[in-house]
Amino acid sequence: MIRARIIGAAVLVGVALAAVASTASGGTTADSITVWLQVDAQAENWAPIVQAANAQFEKAHPGVTVDVQYQTWGDHLKKFDATLAGGNAPDVIEMGNTEMTKYMAAGAFQDLTSLKGSFANSSTWLAGLAAAGVYNKKTLGVPYYAGSRVVTYRTDLFKKAKIKVPTTLAQFTADARKLATGSKGFSPVYLAGTDWYAAMSFVYEYGGSIASQVGKRWKGDLASPGSIAGLTAYKTFFNAASRASKTTDETHPNPYDVYAQGKAASIVGPAWFSCCVGKKYTKSTAQFVMPGRKAGQPLPGFLGGSLLAVPIGADKTLGADWIKAYTSNQSMTALRSIGNIPNTTSLLGNSVNERAAKRSWFVPTAKNWVNVENGNILRNMLAQILTGKLTVKQAAQSASDNIARVLNADL
Amino acid sequence: MARSPVPHTTTAAVAASPLRGRRRRPLSVSGVGRGAVPYLLVLPVVLAIVAILGYPLYRLATLSFQRYGLPELIQRHGEWIGLDNYRSVLSDSVFWDTLVRTIVFTAVNVGLTMVLGTLIALLLVRLAAPVRILLLTGLVLVWSMPAVVAVQVWYWMTNFQNGVVNHILTVLRLGDFDQHDWYSTTFWKLAMVTLLIVWGALPFVTVTMYAGLSQVPRELVEAARIDGASPWRVFRDITFPTVKPIVYILTSLSIIWDFGVFTQPYLLIGASHVDSSNYLMGVYVFIEGYAHSDFGRGAAISILMLVMVAAMSVLYVRRMVRMGEVT
Repeated sequence: MIRARIIGAAVLVGVALAAVASTASGGTTADSITVWLQVDAQAENWAPIVQAANAQFEKAHPGVTVDVQYQTWGDHLKKFDATLAGGNAPDVIEMGNTEMTKYMAAGAFQDLTSLKGSFANSSTWLAGLAAAGVYNKKTLGVPYYAGSRVVTYRTDLFKKAKIKVPTTLAQFTADARKLATGSKGFSPVYLAGTDWYAAMSFVYEYGGSIASQVGKRWKGDLASPGSIAGLTAYKTFFNAASRASKTTDETHPNPYDVYAQGKAASIVGPAWFSCCVGKKYTKSTAQFVMPGRKAGQPLPGFLGGSLLAVPIGADKTLGADWIKAYTSNQSMTALRSIGNIPNTTSLLGNSVNERAAKRSWFVPTAKNWVNVENGNILRNMLAQILTGKLTVKQAAQSASDNIARVLNADL
Repeated sequence: MARSPVPHTTTAAVAASPLRGRRRRPLSVSGVGRGAVPYLLVLPVVLAIVAILGYPLYRLATLSFQRYGLPELIQRHGEWIGLDNYRSVLSDSVFWDTLVRTIVFTAVNVGLTMVLGTLIALLLVRLAAPVRILLLTGLVLVWSMPAVVAVQVWYWMTNFQNGVVNHILTVLRLGDFDQHDWYSTTFWKLAMVTLLIVWGALPFVTVTMYAGLSQVPRELVEAARIDGASPWRVFRDITFPTVKPIVYILTSLSIIWDFGVFTQPYLLIGASHVDSSNYLMGVYVFIEGYAHSDFGRGAAISILMLVMVAAMSVLYVRRMVRMGEVT
């Protein structure tokens, strides 16, 4: 009994210490650097690329170890804020391209302009991605990788239903109806109800947009005729194709988990979803570009991407050197081989991912955009539309007003 | 609260004790030195409270008068803007909507917790020892569960795709709950949060009420029964007046907790689904302060919340003190 208690106490102390240790991140002692990457890079096929970069860096800087800490998109910025306030920010941080503007405007990153030439392929960086790391003509972020969104599908089920890869959106919608098996939880095309990346693709396809800049101020565009048509098309497609919750997001559950459980004939999402479709379906899985209204023209996809930046207060030389190792030609080739779009046009090929990237849209480049994401304005609108709580027009108008208010706050 | 374990017969003695103390003090030999002793004795506690509570409060108050966003956070220097943060918060319709929603939410949560807690406590008094121990053990197990873990378990149970709640309800033929979305509207989102909070708060209220109920003088209850009083009458005129101080303290504590609750709503509704249509004050201040990196405005909302909770607490503490004087 007593021993059990002692062990219990020891475990408690251990847990407490571990908690303390895990919160004390960052800091720039000369013998180690801290790197924050997103958990995506923890995947089986991705981790070796990080390890290779670490090894290369540590060889060039004997005695300096790399401490890679994995973060989630949901809360990495809140953690980053806390480290900025505490003066122990990481030496390198991965930022989403939609997150950069706010932090660049606030002066959170060190200027890498003078070092730009020393990064591999910097003259052929993907223009759109590189632009997300430039503020007031200063290079503050190094392009890391991009990803477009494609359809991952079960070839066996498509064959059984005698369906070929669809070339138009109308065709895909009709195919979805054919793929419905009658089993209630089975989605021909699994799509989370509030997946705004998918929904906005419809908006841009129909000529709408989220917001546009008029002079210095922002104007909400979701209530424009094009946007309304796009949102209506999204609702039609969702109702025909997806049995996902109308109020959930694209990570609860992960679409590839639904797919791996055999509950979806196809899923829409980043190309790397092919990683996790489950052993049972690995052989019968392929991908195609999400079709648009016209044959041969893909649906404009959200071009997501990440950049690497060196926060202020960090060791600029060591941070930049690690980024150089991780964005080397060799590293980019490896990243491309697992389904990502590399940061340079010199390595671009004709993969499904790269074909999908030919038509793409991007979020408004406003300083406050990230507040629109955090406020879940678009998700709330989609839930209202799909559950029928509001009409498309009502929901879009209210979201549009909200977005304009957030983007124009303190301008 | 401290009086709850003291039998009611000693109430008079407790109330009289300060008087006795006061009378004794002038009789002491070295009056001044002795008089300082109590203050010296509480000094460490006062210092600790000032350090732990006072300094953060001071920082919060100064922050609420500054423009303090991301650029200021990085430079660690805010700009003094007087009452601008308060003006902007008080003229924001989201603040008022959230406030009303939170007040209703708090009333429902506190009401349910108190009524159910009292009922279970009354049940406990009547139960045979083995069953009582079983029930108490169950309650303590609930109590010992960390909020974050509880949220995760509830989230799984009520999951849209694979939740066990939907499965069981369907198997029991209570309707077709296959793929039922428990979080489809704001009402249901907050109802699920309410269930979780009440479930988590019941053990504390029940166990404390149970302790209070054991102080109800049995002879009074028996006498009332012999005189033909109904169970409701016994509860109203004997049981409730005895446990009234406990009810007051439990209610005021529950109000303070539920008014500022954050963990359950933020995690159960989910970071990608909290929005201005379902904010509670705790979540609202977090979104405004942290997610929008407007720390000055967040601080202003915090101060406003603090004032409201303090006002409510003062009301209760005063009533409690007055009650102590009367009985």
